[in-house]
Amino acid sequence: MNARSLPALALALACVAASAATHRLDDSLSHTTPPTAQMEWLPQTPGDRDGGMETWVRVNIHIDTRDWVGRSGRIYMVLPRDQSSSIEAVWTTRGPLRSGRLVSGERALVWTGTIGSDSLRDQMQVRLRSGPDWQSASRRLSFHFEFDTD
Amino acid sequence: MNTALRPPVLRLLGAGLLVAAGLQALPAQAWSLTIAAASRRVFLHVGNGTANGNNGTINLVTATLTGAQLLSGAPQAMTSNSTQSGSLYGDGYTTCPTPSTQVIVGASYRRSNPGNGPASATLRVTSPASLTSAAGDTIPFSQISWTVSAPGSTNPNVIPAGTFNGATQTLATIPANTYIENCHTFSYANSAIRAAGTYNGRVTYTLTSP
Repeated sequence: MNARSLPALALALACVAASAATHRLDDSLSHTTPPTAQMEWLPQTPGDRDGGMETWVRVNIHIDTRDWVGRSGRIYMVLPRDQSSSIEAVWTTRGPLRSGRLVSGERALVWTGTIGSDSLRDQMQVRLRSGPDWQSASRRLSFHFEFDTD
Repeated sequence: MNTALRPPVLRLLGAGLLVAAGLQALPAQAWSLTIAAASRRVFLHVGNGTANGNNGTINLVTATLTGAQLLSGAPQAMTSNSTQSGSLYGDGYTTCPTPSTQVIVGASYRRSNPGNGPASATLRVTSPASLTSAAGDTIPFSQISWTVSAPGSTNPNVIPAGTFNGATQTLATIPANTYIENCHTFSYANSAIRAAGTYNGRVTYTLTSP
């Protein structure tokens, strides 16, 4: 390797680092049914003394992927932690997205492949559960999607 | 030659990085929803009950004494018309294996957050001063007491044994998101000779979270 090849190698590495990244996706056309939800008590049992609370919502997912057509990678659904009491989301899907589970503060893989169209649409049935240890009478959950490009 | 090409490549990469940075800075929208916590709840069952539901059954405990038993002055066990042997605590555990002599008492208090109610609920029982007969004769309610049991439980006295006092008695304090339960077996003290007759009285259990 001569001295002139070193800058070229450095550029190639920089290029790889810039392309494999996490990007937040726009899913502003997604909406939930109902738009608000009321938690209900789960039965208390000796194995689950708190019992906790649960609710179900349907989410029509519409992710704008126009900027990523032709790019390959993985899409994750993210639920940022909003308070110390965790929320568990478990969902099933009817379309291209994967069913899965995540807890506040985590993200879960919902799609992998090469983006082939301007949007990614699906419908999720989401079960939300939590313990009875909230800090407030209601809370706002803000899910979002992230795209890890290859 | 390589040196001549390098500046355009660098400019292109720089532009790409700027575009990527710009996209990440955009406040992308996301799906969100507001969820409301479950409402504060108290649940109490005495004798025959229904999990998470109302049950209007009022069970009866009875002692029928022969003349010899009455004269003996010995305490008399009371029987129950309850048929509830299984726990309503989610697992159906047989808390009261012989409901014909027992009355199951269970209570729970649930709240979702500190602003949703006090840290505990209170289980009380209220008894009238006396049981009364059709003839107007009376027996003090303090003649009736109960013992408690809960097979397999590490805390069978979670609701303690006691004696009715003709007033309101506090039986237990139930911390939030706790379920307590045990079996009560009643007995009649039989400490005095009474006029013949059928004596009735009703006690009322309450669970409150003010």
